[in-house]
Amino acid sequence: MKKECEDSERMARLAAGDAGALHELYEKHGRALLRFSSAMCHSRQSAEDLVHDTFVALLRGPHLFDPAQGSVFAYLCGALRHRVSRHFRQQKRWVELDGHDARAVNQDPADELARSEASAVFRRALLELPLQHREIIALCDLEELPYHAVAAILDCPIGTVRSRLHRARALLTLRLASLELVDLEDQPPLVQLS
Amino acid sequence: MTDALHPQVASLLARYRVELRDTTPSDSLDARIAALVAGEGKDIFPPRRAPRRLGYWAMAAAMAVVAIATGIYIGMRLERGAPRARLTQQSSTLPADFSMWPADSVALQIPAEYSPQGTLVAVDPNAHSSGKRYWVDVVVSNDGTVRIERVVPAEDKHAAGVPDGITLQSP
Repeated sequence: MKKECEDSERMARLAAGDAGALHELYEKHGRALLRFSSAMCHSRQSAEDLVHDTFVALLRGPHLFDPAQGSVFAYLCGALRHRVSRHFRQQKRWVELDGHDARAVNQDPADELARSEASAVFRRALLELPLQHREIIALCDLEELPYHAVAAILDCPIGTVRSRLHRARALLTLRLASLELVDLEDQPPLVQLS
Repeated sequence: MTDALHPQVASLLARYRVELRDTTPSDSLDARIAALVAGEGKDIFPPRRAPRRLGYWAMAAAMAVVAIATGIYIGMRLERGAPRARLTQQSSTLPADFSMWPADSVALQIPAEYSPQGTLVAVDPNAHSSGKRYWVDVVVSNDGTVRIERVVPAEDKHAAGVPDGITLQSP
């Protein structure tokens, strides 16, 4: 609660023209936003660009934040989420001339080598999920945010968060099984057909 | 509903989560944010962009209205002057020997005097003249048209040396 008050105070300072408050918000929430963006995007550069754009938008319109609707982090995460969605919509309009698949996992080689092979395959499976399911995995399972916080970010009821997470986990498990990272033989069915 | 997480999936998630925890912003991103804080980012979206664009639109709309009004005015002027211009152009392009009347025609010179009623009536050329006599030049064409070409006093006609009577007009 105290942290949220500090964030609200920073937002008030930012609205008053104190750009230093923006740097404090970046120091506090920048890494978490970059983690979320990295889990959502195919390239690190795109993830950083989207985080940067989010803070640019925050600098230009700090008055758009309403403390009654949630925390500053939820506001920033929601803004970043919209930018990620827009990023992928714009990406669909472009076609690679050399036949290169833009949706493929195409990381910096050094970054790719740092990951284990299993993690790389897991990341590829995660990035193949639809955006709606990818973001719920990123927020609930990777960032480990509580359901009410995720519901505030996604602007939906908690029940929707639960059902969407269940569906996303099932899809991810099936995808991992197809990549032979998960064995489903001795497991109960993921989806009950009535 | 969300408890059905496969153990192997949970394990992979945990491993990937740990790797993500090590994600730190690059120096490039830090520098861009620092530049933003320093004020360089204010040029990304100029605050007065919208009013300036509105001014440009207003100026463009005014110029468009002036251009359309000028076009309408010029069109009206051209439309009003068009018949006169066409007539002038037609007359100026006629050949020199062009005549509206057919070439085969007969010119009659008829003596006439004013009657007491004030009308010009034909008289016998050999009869004694009681008043001022005029010669009426009448041209009868082969297409049946008759026209009075001119009316001149008899004294002027004789003074000009024009012969009296019927003459054939040369083609």
